[in-house]
Amino acid sequence: MKPLKKLFDRYEADFTGSGKYKRLEPLFDATRTFFFLPSPGNTILPFIRDHLDLKRYMSFVLIALVPVLIFGIYNTGYQSGLAAGETHGILNSLLIGAGYVLPIILVSYGVGFFWEILFAVIRKHKISEGFLVTGMLFPLTLPASIPLWQVALGISFGVVIGKEVFGGTGRNILNPALTARAFLFFSYPVSMSGNIWVAGKTTVDGISSATALAVTGMEGQSITKALVDSGFSLSDLFLGFVPGSIGETSALCCLLGAVFLMVTRIGNFRIILGGIAGLVVTSIIFYFIPGGRESWANAGPLYHLSAGGFLFGISFMATDPVSAPGTNPGRWVFGFLIGFLTVTIRVINPAFVEGTMLAILFMNVFAPLLDHGVVKYKASKRIPNV
Amino acid sequence: MEKIKVSKGFTPRLAGKPDYSLITLPDPDTIGVSAMDIPFIRPKLLVKENDRVRTGTPLFCDKRDKSIQYVSPGTGMVKKILFGERRRLQEVVITLDKLDEFIQFDPITGSGTGSGPESSLKSGRGHTLNNISKTALIDRLKQGGLWQSLRQFPAKDTADSSHTPAMIIVSLNGNDIFSPHPGLLLEKEKPAFEFGLEILKKFSNRIIVTARQGSLGRLKTINTLISHLVPDSYPAWDPGVVLYHLKKNIKENTSWCIGAEHLVMMAKFLLTGRFPVKKIVTVTKPGDQKPHFLVHQGMPVKAIAGSLPKDSLITTGQFNGRITNKESHLGFFENTLNIINGNENEELFGFIRPGIDKPSVSHTFLSSLFTNPGQVDGTLHGEIRACINCSYCENICPNDLMPNFIMKALHSDEIEDALEYGLLDCCRCGLCSYACPAKIELTQILSSGMDSHYKDKA
Repeated sequence: MKPLKKLFDRYEADFTGSGKYKRLEPLFDATRTFFFLPSPGNTILPFIRDHLDLKRYMSFVLIALVPVLIFGIYNTGYQSGLAAGETHGILNSLLIGAGYVLPIILVSYGVGFFWEILFAVIRKHKISEGFLVTGMLFPLTLPASIPLWQVALGISFGVVIGKEVFGGTGRNILNPALTARAFLFFSYPVSMSGNIWVAGKTTVDGISSATALAVTGMEGQSITKALVDSGFSLSDLFLGFVPGSIGETSALCCLLGAVFLMVTRIGNFRIILGGIAGLVVTSIIFYFIPGGRESWANAGPLYHLSAGGFLFGISFMATDPVSAPGTNPGRWVFGFLIGFLTVTIRVINPAFVEGTMLAILFMNVFAPLLDHGVVKYKASKRIPNV
Repeated sequence: MEKIKVSKGFTPRLAGKPDYSLITLPDPDTIGVSAMDIPFIRPKLLVKENDRVRTGTPLFCDKRDKSIQYVSPGTGMVKKILFGERRRLQEVVITLDKLDEFIQFDPITGSGTGSGPESSLKSGRGHTLNNISKTALIDRLKQGGLWQSLRQFPAKDTADSSHTPAMIIVSLNGNDIFSPHPGLLLEKEKPAFEFGLEILKKFSNRIIVTARQGSLGRLKTINTLISHLVPDSYPAWDPGVVLYHLKKNIKENTSWCIGAEHLVMMAKFLLTGRFPVKKIVTVTKPGDQKPHFLVHQGMPVKAIAGSLPKDSLITTGQFNGRITNKESHLGFFENTLNIINGNENEELFGFIRPGIDKPSVSHTFLSSLFTNPGQVDGTLHGEIRACINCSYCENICPNDLMPNFIMKALHSDEIEDALEYGLLDCCRCGLCSYACPAKIELTQILSSGMDSHYKDKA
C-alpha cells in the first residue's frame, strides 16, 4: 500500500503545522489513522504494550452489529412487502430494506461526523472512535419510516448534547445514541410511536404496524393469546419477523452479537447477564401478581425477552463502557436494574410501551453513584497506607 | 513453605527466555556507576575527573543522607562524569586498571561458628554478628556502599536505618520476567545467603524469602530457606505484591525489601571485607536464546548486549525498567537487558487485522487461541484517548487497585481520595499501562502521584 501512504505523506504538510488546511487536521488525522494505525515508540514504562487500542475496541462493536444490521435491512424489506400484500424473496427484501435503511445510516454518520469534526477542530483534539458505534446504534433504534431530517436532528442532539458538551467520548454521562433516540421520541412522538413501524404504503387491511409491546388482550383474554392473534408468535418475536425498530426485532441476532461481545470481552458480561436476570426475575414476579391477565404483566419472561428492544439495548447500549459503571459489582446492579425497570415501565406505564430506552438512560444517570458506592466500599476494606 | 495466592497479573507470552548456563565475560575497559536507577537520590559527587579510585572508594553520596555512599566497583581512573538534563548526575565512568586494589574492611564472621579469621581475633578488633552492635553494622554497610540494597516501602526509597521494619522481604527473582535465575545466583552461595539472612534478623523479626513457583525446581540446595512461594504470573514475585498480599496491619506498610543477589553481596562484603565486584546478568532478545553472563559490576551495555538490530530499544526490564543505550553502563539494581524491536511501523488497517501473532490481554485477537509467543515490539499500537472505564487496568492489577479511578482522583488533585483508594500500594509493575486500550500512561501517573506525595511528606 505504498501509493496510499505516499498520498498521505504528500498532503501531510498541508494539514499540519501551518499548512493551508491546518484547521482540518483532525479530519486528515482520522482518515490517515483509519488506514494506517499509528504506533509510536514507547519512552515511558512499560516498554511493551498490548495490541488492543480504542479503534479496534469500537470496531468490534460494529462487527457484533453486523447480524443485527443485515437482518434489520432484510426485515424492513420483508415487513414492507407484507404490508403491500406481497411476499418478497430474501434478495428482494434486502434490496427494498436497504433502500429504506441505508439513507438513515448515511444521514446519521454524515451529520454526526460533521459535529464530531467541528468539535475536534475547535477543541484541537483528535476525533474519537466512539462515534463509529453511536452512528450505527442510533439508526438501528429507529423505525424505518422515520423522516431523514429527524434522523439528522436526532443525531445532532445526541452527539452535541449527549456527548460533546461534556467533553467528548469518555466523559459523557448518558449513552449518546439513546439520548438521540429519547430526543426524537419525546419531540416527535408521531414519528416514533403508534402504527409507524412498517416502512412503505400499507395496502392490506388488518396488518398492524404497531409493535408487540402495544398489544393488550381483550377483556378476559390472556396477553399471550392476544399476541398470537395479532401475529406475534413467540418464534416470530425471537427470530424477528415482526414490525419494530430496524435493529431491535430479532432477539436471535441480538443474542449473537451479545455472545460475540462477551467472548471478546468488549461488552461486559456482567451487564448483559445481570440485565437478563433482572428482566426474568421481574417478569416472573409480575406474572405471579394476581390480576392483569390481559396486560404485559402476565407475559412471562420469554415474551419480555423476545419482544421490543430489550436484548438490543442490554447488549449494545447498556454495555457502552463510558456510560455504564466502571466497577464490577456496579455493573451487576446496573444490568439487573435495567432489566427490572424495563419490565416495570412496560407493565405499569402504558404511555411508554418501550421501557428499555428509558431504563438504560435512567440507570446511566445512576452509574456514577453505583461506582461511588463500590469504590468507597472497596477502599474501606483496604489496609490503609497513608 | 507457604503459598501466596495472587489471582491477578498477567503471563505474557514472550520469546527470548535465557537458558540455564553461565558464561563469564572478560573484564571491560571501562565500568560505570549509574545514578539513574537509584530512587529519589540527590547525588553529591565525592570524586573529580582523573582521580584515581580503588574498589570500594566512594564516588558520590546522597545529599539527603551523606552516610549513604555509592562506591566504585573497580580500580582505575575516573575518566568522565556524565550529567543529564538539569545537571542531574548520570554516570561516573572509570577506566579499569589491570591490577585490582581495594579498600579492606575487617571481616565480620557468622554468629556462633567461632571460626572467625584468626588475625582479627588476635588484634581484638574482630567481630561476629553476635557481638557487633546494630549501629556499627549499619555504619559498616553504609561505608561499604551496600546499605542501599535495602529499600523501604511504600515509595521503595533507600531504607531509613533508624526505622525498625515490621518485615523484610527477600526476593529471589528480579524485576523482569527473564531476570537471572535464582538457581544460578544462589547455588554456590548458600553459606553467604544464610549469613545474609542472619544479618537481616538484626533489623527485623520477620524475614520473608519468596521465590517463583517455576524457579523452585533448580533451588534444591536452598529451598529450606524459602518461606513463601508465589505464582509464576508477572509480577507476583515483586516485593510490592508480596507485601500487599501478606500485610495485616498499618505498621507493615513501611517494610523493607532486598533482592537475593544484593543480600549475597552484603553478606560477602561483611565476610571478606571487600566490595564484591561480580554479578550475573541476562540478556533477552526475541528469537535468540542467550545464556546468563557473569560480569563485572557496572559493565558497559554494549559489552553485554552484543550486536543490535536497527531501531532496537534496550531496557532494563520490559515492564518496569528504564530505557538505556549502548553507551551507558548497567546500574547497581539492574541485572537484565531486554533488546526489543522498536520499529515504528504503521500497519495498513492495523485496527482490524486478525492478529494471530499479536499477543494481547484481551480476547480480540486470534492470538488468544494459541499459546506460542507472539511478536513483541516496543511501540504503543494506537493513540492516546480518554479513559472509557473499560476496567482492563483493574482486572490486571496484582494489588487490587482501580488505576482508572486513582488516575481520575489524581487528575482532579483529590490526593486524599487517591490515597484512600490505595495509591501507595501500587508496585509500579506497569501492567495497567500495558493493558490500557486508550493508551493512557497509568503507571506513570500513579507513580508520579506516589512520588510527589512521598517527597511532600519527607
